[in-house]
Amino acid sequence: MTVAIVLLTLFGSAWLLAVIEGWTVTGRLRPAAPLISGLAHLGRESIVPRSPDRVFFEAAPVLLLVVAVLGAAVLPLAPDLVIADLGTGALFINAALAYVLVALIMAGWGPNGAYAMIGGWRFLGQLIAYSMLIVMPITAVAMRAESLVNTAIVGSQAALWNIVYQPLGFVLFYIAAMALAFRSPFDLPTAEGELAGGVDAEYTGVRLAVLRLARLTLVVTLASATTVFYLGGWHGPLLPPWAWSLIKTLAVAVSMLLAGGYLPRIREADLMRWCWTLGIPLALLNIVIVGLLILVVP
Amino acid sequence: MGAQAFFLAVFGLAAIGFGVAVFRTSSMVRSALALLFSQTAVGCMFLVMQTEFLGVLQIMMMATEMSIMAIFMVMFMMDPGGLGGMDMTHQKRFSIGAGVVAAGAAIAVALLADWGAVTAQAPDAAMQTRELGHELLGRSMLIFETAGVTILTAMIAATAVAIPVQNLASKDDKEVSQ
Repeated sequence: MTVAIVLLTLFGSAWLLAVIEGWTVTGRLRPAAPLISGLAHLGRESIVPRSPDRVFFEAAPVLLLVVAVLGAAVLPLAPDLVIADLGTGALFINAALAYVLVALIMAGWGPNGAYAMIGGWRFLGQLIAYSMLIVMPITAVAMRAESLVNTAIVGSQAALWNIVYQPLGFVLFYIAAMALAFRSPFDLPTAEGELAGGVDAEYTGVRLAVLRLARLTLVVTLASATTVFYLGGWHGPLLPPWAWSLIKTLAVAVSMLLAGGYLPRIREADLMRWCWTLGIPLALLNIVIVGLLILVVP
Repeated sequence: MGAQAFFLAVFGLAAIGFGVAVFRTSSMVRSALALLFSQTAVGCMFLVMQTEFLGVLQIMMMATEMSIMAIFMVMFMMDPGGLGGMDMTHQKRFSIGAGVVAAGAAIAVALLADWGAVTAQAPDAAMQTRELGHELLGRSMLIFETAGVTILTAMIAATAVAIPVQNLASKDDKEVSQ
């Protein structure tokens, strides 16, 4: 039952995001558009490029979807509404989302196309940039909770949300999460207009539909992670816990979509330079500040 | 126990299967990712054996490490796609001999070593993480810190070696490096 509710929430949120994304692009609010578009993809020819690496080509969209769902499986919507409340939940989400890279490399290498391959390898460089900014802020979050269990992390924010307690960590995690989800301005692996879609370029039909669903699900998973780690998870007045989780997750996801829409695409080298020369020192500073706060403030 | 042994065997066989696949393909990316999934299967074996932290850590670390290895293999091999029909193996007789001896030694250690009594009940995941933390920052701190600093030194040294010497570089090199 829990699995069904979480999956329904995840894919429902992905649908809502697609509707809002369409709204911002076309200016028209069409709730059925993502479903119609998805069905249309099923009806279209699903072209396989010449001499592909067939295993990678077929597995990549499915792997991306699976890791996005696995990441969401350890994130609680409410105290008892979590698929697996693992003892290492905060680490597990990193483990699951590390395979986003593997899926994109497979999607890049598989179709035997230059644009796709450049997109796939670009994401490897992107991971070198953002990965420390995912892990180090989570370290500071786990320090405060004194636990890697995600429900305990939400519990530790009952009095004060982490966005207030460690705002620096929140900013770094939020930016890194957008880079992980390869949303604009960090959409280097797909890069419309520059790589002609990059890793998306050679996918058509049902495979492209799975890839698009996976990308939206990934955004929801990361927004949910931001909610759990920084926005107090299910905590909030009046409404039931799951409703607060859902509202916050959707708000973060929509903010990621909107923020990206107004920013120009960043260059690979700039992203890496800023992440390593500015981001990592700030993440270390965040850990030191949180450590001091834990020691000084009872 | 039955289910645990079954899944342990399944993931063990998967690890071996992917391990064999590493050497059966000529594509460097396939080879690297086969090694990745072999290591992921080992991580799943840790999970089956109720060592959650080690399992999750193994699964996480290998994804990035093997992907980075893949790009280096693509960069340095003459035939990264494996479509040129190049034979990637060499010293076959010596390799087979070394493999058989190493496998025999590993099996002998597994069978002959006194592993002590099997733990009846593994501590829960949170307790394991806690105990591992105390171990890493207590008795084993010197070993891990030494290893960490050594790796960091090697990384800095490798980067320093890789940066071209600007003063001696010719004009063409400068253009390329920019």
